[in-house]
Amino acid sequence: MEEKHIMELWQTTNAKLEDSFSISRKNTEEITKMKVQTLLSSMRPVKVFAVVAGFLWVLFGAILVANLFIYSFDKISPWFLFSAAFQILLTAIALVLYIYQTVHIYQADISDSIVETQRKLATLKSSSLWIARFLFLQLPLWTTFYWSKDMMRNGHTGLWVLQIVITLLFAFIAVWLFFNIKYKNKDKKWFRFIFGKREWEPVLKAIELNKEIADFKEDR
Amino acid sequence: MEAKEQTQRFQELIEQNKGILFKVARTYCQNEYDRKDLIQEMLIQIWQSLHKYNSAFKISTWLYRICINVAISYHRKSVIRVKKNVQLTEEAIQGKEDEKPEKELQLSMLNQFISELKELDKALILLYLEEKRHSEIAEILGISSGNVGTKIGRIKEKLKQRFLQQNV
Repeated sequence: MEEKHIMELWQTTNAKLEDSFSISRKNTEEITKMKVQTLLSSMRPVKVFAVVAGFLWVLFGAILVANLFIYSFDKISPWFLFSAAFQILLTAIALVLYIYQTVHIYQADISDSIVETQRKLATLKSSSLWIARFLFLQLPLWTTFYWSKDMMRNGHTGLWVLQIVITLLFAFIAVWLFFNIKYKNKDKKWFRFIFGKREWEPVLKAIELNKEIADFKEDR
Repeated sequence: MEAKEQTQRFQELIEQNKGILFKVARTYCQNEYDRKDLIQEMLIQIWQSLHKYNSAFKISTWLYRICINVAISYHRKSVIRVKKNVQLTEEAIQGKEDEKPEKELQLSMLNQFISELKELDKALILLYLEEKRHSEIAEILGISSGNVGTKIGRIKEKLKQRFLQQNV
């Protein structure tokens, strides 16, 4: 088919579309009455809940751990104290990353050029993988917080062997995931098992788009 | 008073340029329901960005930027639904091939071929089919004019090949 014919085809459909769709004055008027979208109203309720719950968890945990460090350092198990402190720290890092990402997506200027806007949005969206990496780093801490001096002195050797194996295994998985949660592994079975759910689809799409943008700019 | 003026400005802007919204929605959405949804989203974003309009740009450049950005982001969010719709469209083309006049069939094919392009290539072909100058396409997309020319050449070739495969 010739180029001219393709152009004509396109114009024909445009005319048809304009006939079948219309934007009424009432419709535009309703939009002008809408309140300007705030950061909070732009987020889905479940995400607002996740941020609030995460913030309260970090706040409560930080106050508790700080108090224990200051007033009960000699009385409390150091394993609990350090496990809890690192757990709170990693959750706080993930929360800050998530809030940073959400605020910047909200503030993105969509009247900027397509490549620039989409690059910014896709980069921010794909940073969700970093959040997952930090959250997985918490894994071994859930196997150490209940250790105590009493366990050290009187614990059964068999139980200790099992405990150490589990902790080392969780530590290995956490570090391995931290270094391997990358887009290039997206087709691996384990990756699809973790990120195969629908809510991760836009994140993977964003990473894909980022690569498309890089190729597009480089004329590949 | 100022709010009233802004409302009137918005309504005039949409009335004079609604074609841009339709064309972008058509390029990125295969089914009517999604298109209406997308147009609604575009209208909201245009209204919310109106106060930021920079008169250094042509109004059409500014509108194309907003509409394409909204369409790409919308498409990314609803990718699962879109995949299902594309399948339905393909079935519709195949099932009704004999009944359709030739032009209708070609139109369906053109839409189908465009829907198979990558997100940014869709924007490029849309602007090319709208007979925009390379410099304006470059400004909307944010790449060099030279790059625009090279890419358009490749996409045109791809479209021709797809039509040839269908013996059109």
